[in-house]
Amino acid sequence: MKQIGKRLIELLLFLLILSFISFLIMKLTPGDPVRFMLNVDDVSISEEQIESLREELGFNDPVYIQFGRWVLRFFQFDLGQSFMTNQPVTEELAKRIPASLALTFSALLILTVISVPIGTLSALYKDTWVDHLSRAFALIGASVPSFWLGLLFIQLFSVRLGWLPSMGKGTILHMILPSLTLGLVMAAVYVRLLRSSLLESLGQDFIKSAKARGLSSSRIFFFHAFRHSLIPVITVLGVSLGSLLGGAVIIEVLFAYPGVGKLAVDAIVRRDYPVIQGYILFMGLFVVTINILVDLSYRFLNPEIRLKELDRN
Amino acid sequence: MIQTLLLSRNPYRVVILVLLALSVILMTVPVLVPFDPNHVDMGNRLQPISVEHLLGTDHLGRDLFSRILVGAQTTVGTSIFVLSIALLIGIPIGLISGYIGGRIDRMMMRVVDAFLAFPDYLVAIVLSGLLGPGMINLVIAIVTVKWVGYTRLVRSTVLSEKQKDYIAGAKINGLSSFQILLKHMIPHILGNVMVLATLDIGKIILMIAALSYIGLGAQPPSPEWGAMLNEGKSFFYNAPQLMIIPGLSIMIIVFIFNLLGDYLRDRFDVKDQKGGL
Amino acid sequence: MSVLKIENLTIKKQEETIVDNVCIDIKAGEWLALVGESGSGKSVTATVIGGLLPKALKIESGNILLENQNILNLNERAFRKIRGKQISYIFQDYQGAFSPFIKIGKQFDEMLASHTTWKKRERVELTLHMLDSVNLSAQQVYNNYPFQLSGGQVQRAAIAIATILKPKLLIADEPTTALDSLTSLKVLELIYNLKEQTGCAVLFITHDLRHVKKYANNLSIMLRGKLVEYGDKKEIVEKPKHEYTKQLLSAIPPLRNSPTRLLTINTEKEKEVTIV
Repeated sequence: MKQIGKRLIELLLFLLILSFISFLIMKLTPGDPVRFMLNVDDVSISEEQIESLREELGFNDPVYIQFGRWVLRFFQFDLGQSFMTNQPVTEELAKRIPASLALTFSALLILTVISVPIGTLSALYKDTWVDHLSRAFALIGASVPSFWLGLLFIQLFSVRLGWLPSMGKGTILHMILPSLTLGLVMAAVYVRLLRSSLLESLGQDFIKSAKARGLSSSRIFFFHAFRHSLIPVITVLGVSLGSLLGGAVIIEVLFAYPGVGKLAVDAIVRRDYPVIQGYILFMGLFVVTINILVDLSYRFLNPEIRLKELDRN
Repeated sequence: MIQTLLLSRNPYRVVILVLLALSVILMTVPVLVPFDPNHVDMGNRLQPISVEHLLGTDHLGRDLFSRILVGAQTTVGTSIFVLSIALLIGIPIGLISGYIGGRIDRMMMRVVDAFLAFPDYLVAIVLSGLLGPGMINLVIAIVTVKWVGYTRLVRSTVLSEKQKDYIAGAKINGLSSFQILLKHMIPHILGNVMVLATLDIGKIILMIAALSYIGLGAQPPSPEWGAMLNEGKSFFYNAPQLMIIPGLSIMIIVFIFNLLGDYLRDRFDVKDQKGGL
Repeated sequence: MSVLKIENLTIKKQEETIVDNVCIDIKAGEWLALVGESGSGKSVTATVIGGLLPKALKIESGNILLENQNILNLNERAFRKIRGKQISYIFQDYQGAFSPFIKIGKQFDEMLASHTTWKKRERVELTLHMLDSVNLSAQQVYNNYPFQLSGGQVQRAAIAIATILKPKLLIADEPTTALDSLTSLKVLELIYNLKEQTGCAVLFITHDLRHVKKYANNLSIMLRGKLVEYGDKKEIVEKPKHEYTKQLLSAIPPLRNSPTRLLTINTEKEKEVTIV
């Protein structure tokens, strides 16, 4: 309980810093958002109009007042309105988040389904053709540009074969190509990681001891080695859930998939500051949540940490 | 001499060899390029592969082969540039942080952790987007995400080496901190940094291409592979090479660096791994 | 009756001979000490008996008989049934005796379950009894993870799990090297007591003659893959034949002096920084 409380305070602090940074970025970056806003309409605008809008949006106030206002609003879950659509940013995000999460987790599923068996076989049959093949897969997978692979998939499965839709959202079919692309490219890293982690576990003395006790190979592998190998894998997985979402941005743009990533890129191009800020905060929250979950999963996988903490409390 | 270089298994030499070969190729690009990569010739659009246009022409009649060659300069050159700056920032900070330790170290690590908390693609996208599209801003954005890795690596190498007896021995023999740093630490750090850097180059190339693809990096008509892919994708039906060739080029160059990184990692990994059951 | 008989065993690593024409005969209730420096081939001899030879090593010739059954021809499956039940091991590195993230009791249980058809209750009872007999507080250790125990405790638990099925042969591969001297003595005594109780044979591998003096019946000295001396302990200690044995014996320090290292034992591994 103490741990969770400490975590929550850290989280709050982190959010405050994050909101400050995102606010600062906005202020320091070149380009006048007001002009961007008005240029969208393609009508000639007078200086007075710009000035009145600046006044209305509070851009003329001192910076610290702007920041104070921003923080206050932020803790009321009010991130302002999108310049593009005039909708509240929180609503815009809320509309898109489920789609992005669905994409991320189905990519994660594909990643697991691919990399666990390949990495395992590769370690079990080290230096045989199975291993060489899987290492080649890992190497090539790490070299393919994801957006290119996605384009090839679109050409093959949507244009040529007409099996799957290439763009948009709606059905499960729309998710297959994006998540396949994302999962496949990410899987390469995990094949390699799981292989080396398993090999390290298998070389440990406790495996020799288990063998000397006459346990069966499969038992040794799954109960003793595999679990031990999962700790580094989970660590990296936690870190890369973030990059999965980051990589998803590219994929979302490519497949015109209506997730937060696509929203963010559109917002960046149009300097829709409230949306960008909202995106940064959402990602920060997501990354921190994932880190906490990873920490908790250590506790489950590694009793040493769990028990040490019990001792301390 | 060339033969000994070719046959040697010294990893430093292998890296030097590959880098040398690469820079020679990149240097000779201007000589090899048959056409002006940006010369528009609407009468010659979407030409198929021919003797004159080795890879055909694009939707504006520009020679694809020339664009790919010049694009190699842009893509690989930029990523090496990005990496060098990241190294120049990351290594000294890591050295200082690890060697001095104490409060400075703790402060630095807070900063590093904050950077690492965010996925690199995200930071790069947001930063380069906010700074405005363009190659220079892209470089700034990627350097911002990449230097941290080196700081952390160098710091942890310094910390683990610092514990070892030979450093104590060197201290007893009266070497100054700076001499110890120079003579004993640098060789250890160099190996680790080299492995990470080679693996990173591939990632940086991919990142530059990806960001250029979504329009945040190189701008058309600049012949950058990612941007070319974006331009070429609409013409897949008539001229599939416009999309396939740039992608393939990215893949091949990244593959070479990954292969090199893989080899280096095996060479520097002292742990003897036993396999099978 | 011979429990273990090794006949003319030769093991090679590519061209290099690791074990050279070794013959060993251990009878029930006997404690045979196999002494040699690191790299002499003593540990390889230990691993080959249980069929745990690393892949890089090949058996060139020879037989290994466990109660007159040649076990070198056995397949992995059959070997697995012997390991832990008839031949069991105690290793030097006590930290590697148990899997780090599985409770001690569970590891006893999984071993018993894979060798016997006993019910859960019987397995628990025997485990607790065994832990008790190596002077551990049984209930507590049963529910502990390995990292919660001290080195000596883990090694005692390792001895308990090695002897729980009353093996015919217990191979102790430098079990005391990683422990401090007082704990070592306790462990040695424990192995001896268990040997007396179960009547098993002990093959005790060490680089240190001091660990041999009290309990061993027979002594064998290994040098560069060959057995240079083999026979009754007393006879060898009193009248060593081989020059190397004499060196070893003369290097045993008298009790009051601080221990010195055997010169011949200095291997590559032990590069030490001499601070003048």
